Amino acid sequence: MNGIWSLGYITFKEGIKSRALFGILIMVLFMFAVTETLTDLFMRDIVKVAADLSLSTISFSGLLIVLFIGINLLSKDIDKKTIYMVISRPISREQYILGKLLGIAMLLIVCTLFLGILSSIPVYLSKLSYENPQSIFKWHIYFIAIAFIAMKLILLSSITVFFSSFTSTSFISLVLTIATYIIGSTSEVVKGLLEAKIEGVEISPAVAAVIKFVYYIFPNLSAFDLKIQAAHGLALPSGYILSTSLYWGFYIAIMAVAGALIMRRREFP
Amino acid sequence: MSAIETKSLTKVFKKDFSKKKIIALKSLSLKIEEGEVFGFLGPNGAGKSTTIKILLNLIRPTSGTVTIMGKNPSDKNVRKLVGYLPENPYFYDHLSAKELLWFGGKSCNMAAPAIRERTLQLLEELELIDAMKRPLRSYSKGMVQRAGLALALIHDPQILILDEPMSGLDPMGRIKVFNLILKLKEEGKTIFFSSHILHDIERLCDRAAILINGDLIRLIDVKNDLHQGETLESIFMDEVKRSGGLRE
Repeated sequence: MNGIWSLGYITFKEGIKSRALFGILIMVLFMFAVTETLTDLFMRDIVKVAADLSLSTISFSGLLIVLFIGINLLSKDIDKKTIYMVISRPISREQYILGKLLGIAMLLIVCTLFLGILSSIPVYLSKLSYENPQSIFKWHIYFIAIAFIAMKLILLSSITVFFSSFTSTSFISLVLTIATYIIGSTSEVVKGLLEAKIEGVEISPAVAAVIKFVYYIFPNLSAFDLKIQAAHGLALPSGYILSTSLYWGFYIAIMAVAGALIMRRREFP
Repeated sequence: MSAIETKSLTKVFKKDFSKKKIIALKSLSLKIEEGEVFGFLGPNGAGKSTTIKILLNLIRPTSGTVTIMGKNPSDKNVRKLVGYLPENPYFYDHLSAKELLWFGGKSCNMAAPAIRERTLQLLEELELIDAMKRPLRSYSKGMVQRAGLALALIHDPQILILDEPMSGLDPMGRIKVFNLILKLKEEGKTIFFSSHILHDIERLCDRAAILINGDLIRLIDVKNDLHQGETLESIFMDEVKRSGGLRE
């Protein structure tokens, strides 16, 4: 455990001190200021708009952290051979994968928590400026939505870790992760369209099979998008939270095991 | 039991997108005893770093076996016995030397007070104490090399594997590293190191091996095999000439 924990900790430290993170933070502050200004332009449902924009900002900035910091934390090890320093210690290849994933997950949790607290300021201010007795906005659903964003980002990072276990440059990992993000965010909608059976639209069985294959193989990232529920204060069934959490844990476990198995065979000349 | 033993160690690299093979090591058999300082000589591309990487399980041999204190290096616990300094070490940019050594100690299951004590002792000895909280990216080449040595030594390993420890150092840096290796030798550590600086190997090592194009050309007992007026450098040059030079 010491190997995983020590590697996770230095990975987290390396990530939190990254200059790119400060750049992302400045962008987020700007976006929150824009959110506060934009909501003033709306006549009603200001809180809904503020919550929606704030959650979108957290999700987007989290994605930037995964793509520009998370990937580098792993691929740079192989690019610049810092991996020699790690796996020449009593750390197995499997522990290396788990340690890196732990470090990136810690970074994402801390960043999302920080951004979540920061994002509640424009939401709170909009609540103050537009007192609506019929408002259905609920803080606990808003924070569950933030937790789900963190879960989505950690899941995406586990895929990044998997890709980095066999790619030799960070660029390839970046391209594959972006592709996975796009597919994972849209596959549910595409599958929904396929099942809707729109009149006059013929879909060949081969295309339908490919869509279904993609849907089941790639992570369903839209399951972690609770912006609508948070903005409208819609109730979240506990069954949904539980099943999505199980899906999340299961997918990460598969990615970590697959990454570890590939890493075990890999050489670092 | 030997500290390090290789038997018929062979490594063949395949070039990407072609069937061309490069034989980096040809049936290398070596025995390095406990407490011995062993120098590994050879021109660039001779197979020195390949051997070291196999010893640390960074790469695997195509054939042959390797043991460290009688155990296979693929067992991660074996690496608790080993301290490794890579050639041109590169560490995480934003970490400080103190954090780097915390990682080194923690990964070897050292207790926090022991890590703190050993960190201060090593950084003092390697003259990095004033810079221990600075990020490693602000270090000079010599300082990075010394930080790498501190990482290799944090858990007080029995065996040290140093790949070109003097490479790129200025004269002062070389003297510091030289003195440190000398001190470790006096402490009875087993030291396996590769270097191009033959004079240092001659002064530090009990035995040395000359490796050319993956072949072990000669094993030299530094104290007994060097005759009047003969130096390691002259032997090395003769062996390189005799072997027909280097492959392309």
